[in-house]
Amino acid sequence: MALDYRKCAEQIAANIGGGANVISAAHCATRLRLVIADNSKVNKEALENVDGVKGMFESNGQLQLIIGTGTVNKVYDEFLSVTGASAASKDDVKAAAASKMPWWKKILKTPGDVFVPILPAIVASGLMMGLVEAIPKFWPAFGQSDWFAFLDLVANTAFALLPVLVAISSARVFGGNVFLGAVIGLMMVHPALINAWTVGNYAAGEIPTWHLFFFNVQQVGYQGHVIPVILAVLLMSTVEKWLHKKVPEMIDLFVTPLVTVLVTSFITFTVIGPIFSILENWVLDGAKWLASSLPGAVVMGAVYPWTVVMGLHHMYNVIEAGMIAQTGLNTWMPIASAANFAQFGACLAVALKVHNQKTKSVALPSSLSASLGITEPAIFGINFRFMKPFLCGMAGGAVGSLFGALFKLGAPVYGVTGIPAIPAVNNVPLYLVELLISAGVAFGLVWIIWREDEPKKAVAAAPAAPAIEVPTVSVIRCTAGQVLQPVKGAVIAREDIPDDTFASGVLGDGVGIQPSDDKVVAPFDGTISSVAESHHAVGIEANGMEMLIHVGVDTVNMQGDGFTCLVKEGDAVKAGQPLIIFDRAKIKAAGYSDTVAVLLTNSDDLEGVECGAK
Amino acid sequence: MKSFEYTITDPVGIHARPAGILVKEIKKYASTVTVAKGEKSVNALKLMALMGMGIKQGDTVKVTIEGADEDTAAAAIEEFFKANL
Repeated sequence: MALDYRKCAEQIAANIGGGANVISAAHCATRLRLVIADNSKVNKEALENVDGVKGMFESNGQLQLIIGTGTVNKVYDEFLSVTGASAASKDDVKAAAASKMPWWKKILKTPGDVFVPILPAIVASGLMMGLVEAIPKFWPAFGQSDWFAFLDLVANTAFALLPVLVAISSARVFGGNVFLGAVIGLMMVHPALINAWTVGNYAAGEIPTWHLFFFNVQQVGYQGHVIPVILAVLLMSTVEKWLHKKVPEMIDLFVTPLVTVLVTSFITFTVIGPIFSILENWVLDGAKWLASSLPGAVVMGAVYPWTVVMGLHHMYNVIEAGMIAQTGLNTWMPIASAANFAQFGACLAVALKVHNQKTKSVALPSSLSASLGITEPAIFGINFRFMKPFLCGMAGGAVGSLFGALFKLGAPVYGVTGIPAIPAVNNVPLYLVELLISAGVAFGLVWIIWREDEPKKAVAAAPAAPAIEVPTVSVIRCTAGQVLQPVKGAVIAREDIPDDTFASGVLGDGVGIQPSDDKVVAPFDGTISSVAESHHAVGIEANGMEMLIHVGVDTVNMQGDGFTCLVKEGDAVKAGQPLIIFDRAKIKAAGYSDTVAVLLTNSDDLEGVECGAK
Repeated sequence: MKSFEYTITDPVGIHARPAGILVKEIKKYASTVTVAKGEKSVNALKLMALMGMGIKQGDTVKVTIEGADEDTAAAAIEEFFKANL
């Protein structure tokens, strides 16, 4: 089923308000990730029906379209050429989306950013470790061989020195120097320190200790820890960036790295390390309890797919990596496996039951991909869309997790679930049973409960939605043209704008608007003549009219906080096109009026100027 | 032709309100007034262009006055800059 990439890209562009409405575009393994300026222009119904789009959802400020592995990159290339959007790296998109994200989501997102790039190392080591340890079970002699010893060393390298990988990845995420990050990670597992895994062999009084100021620092490494490492590197990156700004350039090259490492290592060993290794142990104990207690496993198995939907599942990487680092066994993984494999079962049931050819052609490959542990296409493309299969999947996940917890399944790996995890698990037959139960329950429930809807109203709803909502009320008219109302809200006389300068007409004649919306749109077709550096005001001209749209009074003092400007000087804009998004709550919080001044700055030179809503 | 240089002290720079009163002041005179920052220069009567320069506190601008009343205008406008910007 060869897909016409060009056509697919064109249809996507047409249903998101065109290229001008795209702030940035990127793709990952399966999804086209877009940050959209004005979400109201997105025709979701139509997007889902575009051939090639298997599903769509909004998450973390991004509009994500599921296209599929191997296809998405081609559609993406066409999309760029169709829309003229410039290629953004995934980081750009994430950054653009991150600015739309509440702070707690940013925190939850960090572990994923840190741990996902390390995945190849973990997968390689975890699978190899599973295999290496499985062979002696049926061939004991192998356990004594040089090969075993050698492969075991290879397999556990990534785990034994995990803090180094975590530190490097963290440095990239937090914007610190990667090599300094590596130094911090290496330092925390320095061979001169007592290995954290063997420290138990020492009696309490025997552990050598440094006395630094009033701190007593035990000379023990941080093998088996990840959270203190992330925090140490976060501190390092912060210190480093701060120093780069403060230290004169001439001596920056040697002063900054030196001071950065010195300060970070001291604080790491005296404060961060001791405190957060204890906290981390509590978190891990909690997670282990959740994973091993039967009610905990049931709840997590059911809730897990929700956390995938919300994009929070990367959080678990911390827990899983921590477990592996600490005990060599990730007992969280059976929960993820059960939950994911249940989504596979649910999706497969839909694939076999459904009559709609398009749904079938999406469901089948999606379920396949879910069985390999990549559930997004199945969840977003099928199960979550029809909802009932998703709920059945939750039930399957809960039952499977319960089984996993009962038999204490686990694996020395994170990030792989379903079939690919088989070589790594500690008990293959039981693991297979777990998968079978999860998928079986979900499949059975879907088969019984779910019914394909009659052809939806979708066809009726398909007619092209207006790409741009053009305001219908004009607020200023003159011989040169008319100015449409750029912000929704009550129109007031210029004299009533709560600011002497605007009210007096020094800046030209016009009106004020008390906004009921947070969006400034272009009042006529024209060219952007200026954009205030603090993004709260924009100038636009056309046909001799020079217009200033100024959001709020004295809001220049907010220095851009709460304002997003979507255009730049020289841009051609169409009436109704969004120009500025502003945060009314922030303006109010800052103590300013949010009245929007809409002024023809050269009204003296224009004829027949008449103000007021009409 | 007359000209003077001035370093902006107003914390918000030449933004809407200061730009507006500057335009109003300049309209009193017949002379053409240009404001230049670095390479860029604009007719100071064009409010939008003036704001588009993004002149900030600490920026030094060169103001040029040319026309019949340039002597009186230059003195008054320089005074105006000192008092308001």
